[in-house]
Amino acid sequence: MPASLTFATAALIVLPLLAILILNIVNKQAGQKIALNVALVVTVIQMIAVLICGSLLVTGGKGSIDFSVFWDMNANLSASFFTVDFFSLVVLFSIGMVAFISAMVAKRGVNGKELNFTNLLMVILLGMNGIAMVGDFFSLYVFLEITGICSFVMIALYHSKEGLEGAFKYLLMSCVATAFLLISMAFLFMQVGSLRFTDLTIALSGWATGEGDLFVTIAFICFIAGIAIKTGLMPFHSWLPDAYQSAPAAVSVLLGGIVSKVCGVYIIIRVLSSFFENIPEVGIAVGLLAIISICFGAIAAAAQNDFKRILAYSSISQIGYIALGIAAGGPIGFIGAMLHFFNHATFKTTLFVDSAILEESVGSTDIEQMGGLEKQLPVANVTTILSLLSTSGIPPLAGFWSKALIIIAVWQAGFHFTAFLAILASVFTLVYFLRLQRKVFFGPAEEHLAEVKESRGTLAFSAIALSVVTIGVGVLFPLILRFLQAQGLL
Amino acid sequence: MNIFGLLLLILLALMLCFAVAAVLMRNLVKAALCLAGSSACLAVILCFLVAPWAAIFELSVCSGLITVVTISAISLTTPYSKDEENELIKKRRARYVALPFILLIVGVVAGYALLNGQTGLMPTMSNASTFASFKEVLWQLRQVDILGQIIMLLAGVFAVVVLFKERDEA
Repeated sequence: MPASLTFATAALIVLPLLAILILNIVNKQAGQKIALNVALVVTVIQMIAVLICGSLLVTGGKGSIDFSVFWDMNANLSASFFTVDFFSLVVLFSIGMVAFISAMVAKRGVNGKELNFTNLLMVILLGMNGIAMVGDFFSLYVFLEITGICSFVMIALYHSKEGLEGAFKYLLMSCVATAFLLISMAFLFMQVGSLRFTDLTIALSGWATGEGDLFVTIAFICFIAGIAIKTGLMPFHSWLPDAYQSAPAAVSVLLGGIVSKVCGVYIIIRVLSSFFENIPEVGIAVGLLAIISICFGAIAAAAQNDFKRILAYSSISQIGYIALGIAAGGPIGFIGAMLHFFNHATFKTTLFVDSAILEESVGSTDIEQMGGLEKQLPVANVTTILSLLSTSGIPPLAGFWSKALIIIAVWQAGFHFTAFLAILASVFTLVYFLRLQRKVFFGPAEEHLAEVKESRGTLAFSAIALSVVTIGVGVLFPLILRFLQAQGLL
Repeated sequence: MNIFGLLLLILLALMLCFAVAAVLMRNLVKAALCLAGSSACLAVILCFLVAPWAAIFELSVCSGLITVVTISAISLTTPYSKDEENELIKKRRARYVALPFILLIVGVVAGYALLNGQTGLMPTMSNASTFASFKEVLWQLRQVDILGQIIMLLAGVFAVVVLFKERDEA
């Protein structure tokens, strides 16, 4: 393994651990002062490490790299190790990007809790990196739990009644999901004798051709139920809006931007593409959940009056699109889902940053109390417009391309009515986001908001940087498409 | 009965003691730790019974993950007042008064069965190979999980710091 690759892969696991060590060795005051800067450095290095891994994958002509961090990999093929491929690199980059933005938002919003926030951020980073890189079902579960625990502690960071309630709901739902996942794993292990994705793929290929087994069916149903709860797909979504609304701004950015996707829809993609791929019933079940989530999320978002709750329901809808891409199958569906994963992480994080700007400037996220903030909050105004247009799939922004690929894949799979529903829901997305934009930024200015001023600090920088990514990915998409074709991914 | 049989009996007794303590303990955090102790004993028993995979998963899930989740969940709750706590202890004692006796009977019966040559249930494998197998599973086959457990412990520590210590300081 080249030295640069060793550095890059080790950085994804060792660096956050090192950061935790440094922050907790120095005295508490110093730790508080440097904590968020350390978090920023770690997340930037993670993004660089991912780019190094990506370039080495391209130049090496490899599909994936297996590696171990602390001791040598032995010859035993059933051992659990880390694996990175193009898809996990996209996820790892998204994790680094959203964690970076979360640390930037935290600079304005976690007064006095910088050290605790950063400690939890580093642990959740490790948890999500682990999820993105493991090639074994049980290890995946371990890292999933790490991410879950950090999430609910972060939601309850300020010990507010709402925060504790949101965290408790999240914890309860998470425990139910965990039970489903453990049952799923137990049955798979009982039948196959291993939980490595590669072993499961080989063992379940026979099942796909009709040698059915009751335990594998139960394992599959429990897996889908567990992951649907974790990702907040309809009808398992009840915890999600409460958790997002009650969490501090920096935590909402993290949860809405990446955690719910990595803990849910990414695992669906990884597992389905690994070992439930050839089973048509799986695609139909996921597709059904996806289209229900798309429609329900869009309708429910239109009925909300809180900025963060609108974003939460919108997330349910957009995660549905990612799941729909996976359900459609084929390279177009897979690439569409992968791109929408990244795009959603970008524009939803932008919108959560905008909600943080509003929270800081106005002191509330209730859109009924706002109006005419267009001139007072110019950065939030413009970045919200760009993000909502991208979410609704308006060309040439990034969201248009990923949604187009997903809908093409669904159409090609023969589900024309589903494709039509997906387009309709996208139009509805534009409707509820325009309502949000009109209520918050347009129209006559509210008198009690006359003194509102936009801060020009890290929040504005984060929103602008993410909007540049949204525009950049959209405009440069033909080049990305060409690159994917050259790599044989499309 | 060989030395492993005796060891197994001791572990079984220890596991039961931890389990009873988990039910009767007045402090929820201590109860959760007792539950973890009980799971750890079960993991060692499974290891002796040549089921290293089951032992590793028991250790990971029940002693590690579940304990962290339980303690974190407890930290989100408000503790009982002294009076409420005393009332609860009285009720609990009344409810579980028969538990130690039932466990004693079960223990005596199980011990009798083991001491009277029902050693078909006992491990007969080479002890060295058992430990090698357990070692292989733990350190080589599940090495990513060990890293996961270390991170999980960190998550648990930070959860306690954020949710317990800060509340106490406030």
